[in-house]
Amino acid sequence: MRPPARACCHRSAAGAARSVLALLAQLVLLAAAGTASAATLVVSVQTPDGHALAGAVVTVRPLEGPPRHAAPVHAVMDQLNRSFAPDLLVIPVGSTVEFPNGDSVSHQIYSFSAAKRFQLPLYRGKPYPPVHFDQAGMVTLGCNIHDEMLAYLLVTDAAWYGRTNEAGSWSAEVPRGRYRVELWHPRLRDSETDLARELTVGEGDRAELTLRLTRGLQPAPLTGRPHSWDY
Amino acid sequence: MRRSTNRFTLPLILLTLSTASRATDWEASVDMRLLSSDAYPSYMDGGFGTVRFGSDDSGVKLGRARFAVTQPIGELWSAHLDASVFDDKDRSALGVTEAYLLLRPYPHAGYRFRLKAGGFYLPLSLENRSAGWESPYTLSYSAINSWLGVEVRTIGLEGQLDWLGTRSGHGFDLGVTAGVFGWNDRAGVMIANNGFVLTDRQTPLFGRLGQPGVQPLDGAEPFMEIDHRVGAYAGLEARYLDRVVLRVLRYDNRADPSALDTISHVLAWDTRFTSAAVRFEADHGWTAIAQWLGGVTTIAPQSMTLNWPFQAQFALLSKRFGRSTVSARYDRFAVQTNVSEYYGAQDGHAWTAAYLFDADAHWRFALECVRVVSSSVNRQEQGGPYSATETQWQLAIRYALGSAIR
Repeated sequence: MRPPARACCHRSAAGAARSVLALLAQLVLLAAAGTASAATLVVSVQTPDGHALAGAVVTVRPLEGPPRHAAPVHAVMDQLNRSFAPDLLVIPVGSTVEFPNGDSVSHQIYSFSAAKRFQLPLYRGKPYPPVHFDQAGMVTLGCNIHDEMLAYLLVTDAAWYGRTNEAGSWSAEVPRGRYRVELWHPRLRDSETDLARELTVGEGDRAELTLRLTRGLQPAPLTGRPHSWDY
Repeated sequence: MRRSTNRFTLPLILLTLSTASRATDWEASVDMRLLSSDAYPSYMDGGFGTVRFGSDDSGVKLGRARFAVTQPIGELWSAHLDASVFDDKDRSALGVTEAYLLLRPYPHAGYRFRLKAGGFYLPLSLENRSAGWESPYTLSYSAINSWLGVEVRTIGLEGQLDWLGTRSGHGFDLGVTAGVFGWNDRAGVMIANNGFVLTDRQTPLFGRLGQPGVQPLDGAEPFMEIDHRVGAYAGLEARYLDRVVLRVLRYDNRADPSALDTISHVLAWDTRFTSAAVRFEADHGWTAIAQWLGGVTTIAPQSMTLNWPFQAQFALLSKRFGRSTVSARYDRFAVQTNVSEYYGAQDGHAWTAAYLFDADAHWRFALECVRVVSSSVNRQEQGGPYSATETQWQLAIRYALGSAIR
């Protein structure tokens, strides 16, 4: 940071003022363009009885213009107390995920999902290189030693994605245009295509979409069972 | 040969420990009981009591001292050993209840295969789901699973093929199991002579029942091979998420009921049964288990055919509150026979109530009351009453240590 600042001091005062003005002008233009073409897309998800559904995965893909994809990330899915933590990750195509095994026992992580088939023996204190997910789709993870362990990795090629908050909503700033919004949840009974919607983010500052499940979710995994019990 | 099996137990444990790598899992526990019982002496003491401890056992007794080790062998194989002391009159203080090798390849295309070789329990009980084949609900097992613990074990091979639906976007899993075994030709001797009991004593592999010279069991060994015919079983399992499990299994030891052991001159018992069990688990710690078992055991000495059909059922309801588990179970059991004077006929029911408190990972406290109402022809033959009510109270304190217990 410092060398450019010192370099600036060698310039003439007038030159510096001109540069600052030019920069400001550019910022104003960009901001104006932004307000003109972007809006807030708010997706709300409800259960059939109208309650907010937290944790649902929302993906948004533009239906027009050049294809857009979110940038790959590096994520961590730990194994703690004989469960995956977190038990659901949404990652863009090309991302990597680390499985560090924070447990005192060994695990044998596997997936036979079409999007990524792999198996990983995780012995105590022995790190393994991150796994690369290069194909979109749902990856279901299990442990070959502990049958009760179950987790999901949703590898997405969507431009925008996220999970609904406690109020059942998720939002993103998107350019105006037409979009396809899809919904997924690990315990969904509805067909995913039934819950997909197309919408236009038009003139307003805000576009809202409410998705209501038609069927209740499957029961959540049981909690509090001692790990020494047979599954 | 059988005697040496027990003699080698301790060296085997020490060898397993000495070759253990970091990945070895082990567990040791001691379970002491404070007892009050008005029951008749148990089958181990030559009596017809229907619970583990008779009135002579009132006071402090060892429930079980247990040592178990699991040693991975490469990535897919593992060796399992479970050894226990039950402080009774078996021929060796320390016995091995299970010892087997397990092959567990990674699932492929939604299917998973598992192979077990050695001595182990049939995949039948939905109650005995804790370490050491114990029940996390009660101290005493149901009549059905007590009987399994007493005289039914696989000493052989078992294969299991599972379709992992919950790993491929479905709500349920399905599995088929099949096993072949030997050394269980005397399964049935307990049912025919003593009938059903409610106990948590598990006969060690190649262990014995009762005392030599004391009728009717006379130190019978359930784990004998007499006729050199392979026994078999096959079962189905279905699961809905992690909430419902359904298990059905058909067992036939395919023993020749007229075959005599050349050394001990005891007969093989031809025993076959079907079991069906279901377990429901719900939110807030609720569990319900029901099991039904029906079968027949037969011997054919000197061209007679003597048989004892048997049936038992139980229903268990349990609720966990934090570290506490409260359970109640109702058992029904009956043994009929075609033998003159109804030798071995038994009929009864039992109520079990238990409170278990897991203070921490090491300490567990339990209080249990079992009340059995039964009629037994053999008890009457021995000078006892035909109909009797027996009550056994147990206060248990267990301390456990292990590589995964902290």
